[in-house]
Amino acid sequence: MNRQRWQSVSFRNPYLFALLLFLLALLVNFIFQPNLFQRSILNSNMRVFLPLILLASGQAVVILGGGIDISVGAIVSIINAILASQLGAGASAEKTLLVVVIALLVGMVAGSINGFFIAFLRLQPIITTYATSFLFAGIALYILPEPGGGVPLVISSFYRDTTPLGLPLGLYIILLILIAWYMTRQTRYGRYLYAVGGKPDAAYETGVPVNTVQFSTYVISGLMAALGGVAITLLTGSGNAQVGDALTLASITAVVIGGTALRGGVGGIAGAILGAIILGLFKNIISFANVDLWWQTFVNAAIIVLALAAPGVINLLRRKRI
Amino acid sequence: MKRITISPPVAAVLLAIVLFLLSGLLPNGYGNNLSVALAQATNIIRLSVFLGIIAAGQTLVIISGSEGIDLSAGAVVTLSAIVTYVIVKGQDGNVIPALIAALAIGAAIGFLNGIGIAYLKIAPLVMTLGMAGVVTGLILVAQHGNVSGAVAPLMTRIIARPVFLGIPGAVIIWIIFAALMWLLLERTTFGKKLFAIGTNRTTSRLSGVNVTGMVLLTYALAGMLSGLGGFLVLGNTGVVFINIGNPFLFPSIAAVAVGGTLLSGGKGSYFGTMAGALVLTLITSLLTTMQMPDSVRRMVLGATLLILISIYGRQRGFRQ
Amino acid sequence: MTVSLSARNIVKRYGGVVALSGANLDVHSGEVVALIGANGSGKSTLSKIINGVVVLDGGQLLLDDKPIHFSSPQAAKKLGISTVFQELSLVPQMTVAENIWLTREPLRKAGFVDQKSVHARTVELLALFEGTYKIELHPDATVDSLPPDEKQIIEVLKAICFDPRLIILDEATASLDSRQVQRLFELVEQWKLQGKAIVFVSHRMEEIFRIADRFSVLRNGKTVGAGMMKDINERELVRLMVETVTATNVGQRHRLATKRSDEFPLRLQVEELKTEVLKGISLQLHDGELLGIGGLKGQGQRDLLLALFGDLPYLGKVKVSDELVHFKHPQQAIEKGIALVPGERSKEGLLFIRSILENLLIPSWKQYGFPLKMHKAHKDGSSISSTLQLKMESLDKEVSSLSGGNAQKIVIGKWLLRNPKLLLLDDPTKGVDVGTKAEFYKLLAELVEAGTAVLFYSSDDEELLGLCDRVLVMHDGKIHSELAGELLTKSNLVAASLGASNVSIE
Repeated sequence: MNRQRWQSVSFRNPYLFALLLFLLALLVNFIFQPNLFQRSILNSNMRVFLPLILLASGQAVVILGGGIDISVGAIVSIINAILASQLGAGASAEKTLLVVVIALLVGMVAGSINGFFIAFLRLQPIITTYATSFLFAGIALYILPEPGGGVPLVISSFYRDTTPLGLPLGLYIILLILIAWYMTRQTRYGRYLYAVGGKPDAAYETGVPVNTVQFSTYVISGLMAALGGVAITLLTGSGNAQVGDALTLASITAVVIGGTALRGGVGGIAGAILGAIILGLFKNIISFANVDLWWQTFVNAAIIVLALAAPGVINLLRRKRI
Repeated sequence: MKRITISPPVAAVLLAIVLFLLSGLLPNGYGNNLSVALAQATNIIRLSVFLGIIAAGQTLVIISGSEGIDLSAGAVVTLSAIVTYVIVKGQDGNVIPALIAALAIGAAIGFLNGIGIAYLKIAPLVMTLGMAGVVTGLILVAQHGNVSGAVAPLMTRIIARPVFLGIPGAVIIWIIFAALMWLLLERTTFGKKLFAIGTNRTTSRLSGVNVTGMVLLTYALAGMLSGLGGFLVLGNTGVVFINIGNPFLFPSIAAVAVGGTLLSGGKGSYFGTMAGALVLTLITSLLTTMQMPDSVRRMVLGATLLILISIYGRQRGFRQ
Repeated sequence: MTVSLSARNIVKRYGGVVALSGANLDVHSGEVVALIGANGSGKSTLSKIINGVVVLDGGQLLLDDKPIHFSSPQAAKKLGISTVFQELSLVPQMTVAENIWLTREPLRKAGFVDQKSVHARTVELLALFEGTYKIELHPDATVDSLPPDEKQIIEVLKAICFDPRLIILDEATASLDSRQVQRLFELVEQWKLQGKAIVFVSHRMEEIFRIADRFSVLRNGKTVGAGMMKDINERELVRLMVETVTATNVGQRHRLATKRSDEFPLRLQVEELKTEVLKGISLQLHDGELLGIGGLKGQGQRDLLLALFGDLPYLGKVKVSDELVHFKHPQQAIEKGIALVPGERSKEGLLFIRSILENLLIPSWKQYGFPLKMHKAHKDGSSISSTLQLKMESLDKEVSSLSGGNAQKIVIGKWLLRNPKLLLLDDPTKGVDVGTKAEFYKLLAELVEAGTAVLFYSSDDEELLGLCDRVLVMHDGKIHSELAGELLTKSNLVAASLGASNVSIE
């Protein structure tokens, strides 16, 4: 009975590992950067982490539903290209709003393309989103062949400096996402999602509209990627069609270390957000630990691989214990 | 969608021929000039060799099933090209050691991929993508010391120049390579087991196949073949630069898909991949001739793969 | 409530295979119609057409005397048709309550699930089977932690939670013990009084005669008989079900030549084998002996076979050919002359898209050298397929082109080339047509005669009675009783399967 209880506890709380890792990362970061919890530093960190947090949230929904989206980085690049090329430093507030809305719609269209091929034509998610990632990257490059462009200063400063009630803007956005997610889990759709990811055949026989649910996950991912694209554009203040490249793997890693298994049906957004923050903290640690600039890419990549390997290693050790 | 009755490799070869004929109609195409056409055709085939060999590893991992893929191929090509460059230093005598080093490095990286995938149960997509990052990081570490080296004349002579009856050495290498690949897939225990694990891992295991070992071996082999690819690419270009391997990654996967190898694993052939490599090289070179920017190249390649898998890659729906 | 459903001349093809070629069914309010047929007769296909999971290729469905076409399983559900599936439609990672109410969750305003209501109504539903649970069922338990019988009960509760008009019970009693079956039948009587219609798909005669009012028999995809249960008896039903009477085992024993097993060497000795499910199994098996394993499904039979084959970690002592072994991988077991015919042939025994030849030779390629001598391989393949009397076009055709019975022959055939000394069989004749069963029994007899030791798990009591001299009945992870000689009777088998404490001479 004891073993059953432990299994069900650890099964329903895959965040345990992520939580521990988070506390560890926080601690190490604090050691290297004692003013970590100062308001301005916290704010600065939050806005750097935000794009990945948004991406990871969308990726979590797709993976929960049994799929995967490796075109998210490319969607970010498209949005960044659109914003940077259409706005420029002197754009008006109305124009900014319009272009942002258009960008979000573009993200959803991109997601719909993925969703169409995967959910309705029944193609494999990996190869499909790989193909679209190339297609979208090409579109981004077409819109913005050379790095440049910009966004109105007033908007990017708003992103950088706003602290409603003294807390970073990013925190509010995370809260918003978590509330939206919690509410979704209380609806039938939320249950459909877990059913489709857990055992699609059973869900189908029960009458769950599997194809529609899977389609919707890709649209959500596209939307979240677009939001991430907006965030990163506001962060950097300029455009670069390659900006999204590294974000795809990071979003998947964030989801995996946050406790959502790649096979689907288990986990949630909270873990993915935690995972994104953890990755951000690791990046901080690397730069504060005075790692040689040339080595930083390698170390960062190695950490990602180790983070991905960790659940596997833990499982291996658990299995040996029969 | 209607059922496709022509076998995919044949369809790919036909497509390649059509594309080639189209290319002749372009403003700076060969028009009616037969000798120029022949020269261009030879060149296309020669260029396809490199993609073809890099895509061989991809073929193996895709056949092995369980969503097998190797996204580290591009990075491994770059790394092995750099390693070759540095070891050869322009001396013919260093060519063999450099080749061995390139193969070894590729195999080592592939082996690491295999460990993560077979033992730690990390999804191939994620593992190889992560490994690509690590290898790229390694390349940066190596590059910051500014690599110096040179290609040996022997390499250029064999790979880039015609060796026999006007046929470039690279093409002859490819033909021998293709024969070996056919032997591997169709006439060895490894090949039979590879198709088996790609079809059904449980059945394979219960029939005595060491699935974990096979997966490890397959990814190591794929890495080694990417290493070979890097060596050959260097011999062709003569110089090394940081992204030399990248343009081969996406097309290597597309080539396998065009060639009709099931993306779910368990079925396929290297001949299909060869035909796929031809098609993809043709598309890329057509776009270059039309002076299309890189953005258009990416869009076309992405769309091509999408269309192809819509025809070949549809999986069972829920309702029957 | 009233309901009536008619299926007329239903046709269904899966690729080249014809599953149904003229099936009929009529069912009305307040009655139970038994849909009967041998394995592979098309029973499941017909029920899947009625509940909208599968699309028919020909024929017509009439609901309440109006022609109907289901666009999806949802559409059928909305019209009040509900099914208790044979292969469960539960999501293992979700809870009991979540599974029962999936797509039917009671809602509060704004579309949010009413958790309190879900919990309360789940408790109500669980109470319907009160007293028949071994472990108390909670609404928040995850389904994958439940034993097969409780999963089946959840499947039943899920089917009735929205008050359907027509209920299809597709082999719903397969995993239930007798108390649970009794309770289920009490519920069925209540449903009849409420005006519901019930289709009872089964091949368990005893249950059919207990609960059904009318019957409809399918054979090879066609309806060959229908009528009132009171007008027919078991023998006549069976005769409708099968083609030739001689192929049935009803009351007959295909007794294999009984040799004194102690004359032969001991091939397998097992002492206190333990796994998560097995609580200490000990047995002995001689060459030339066919030892049967019985018991209800899920009592550990599969675990035992897998552990012996090296595919499941275990504790305990196992000796093969007098040598102490502890296999960590099937490869090792195979080297020692052991072979396993797994339970789910499509998932575990075959390489569907590969050729027949490859399927037959998958454990044996090493023998053919490098490069593989395909000529010799073809020859060996041909000789095995003729031994098996395999009906196929050619060795190079895909295995998916074979019928179920022929495909099952391949699962056994792949071991013939290796001359195994110990053969482990996990329910090998499940879903196999009667003709192939007879051929299989003959092959088995030949192997046993030649000295092979055979450990044979079957979920079919008749089969065990007919083939084995000795049967170990498993219950709850242990060997409950060893039945041999006079003790080996149907009622003793059944009693031992249920864990009954006295097994007497019947």
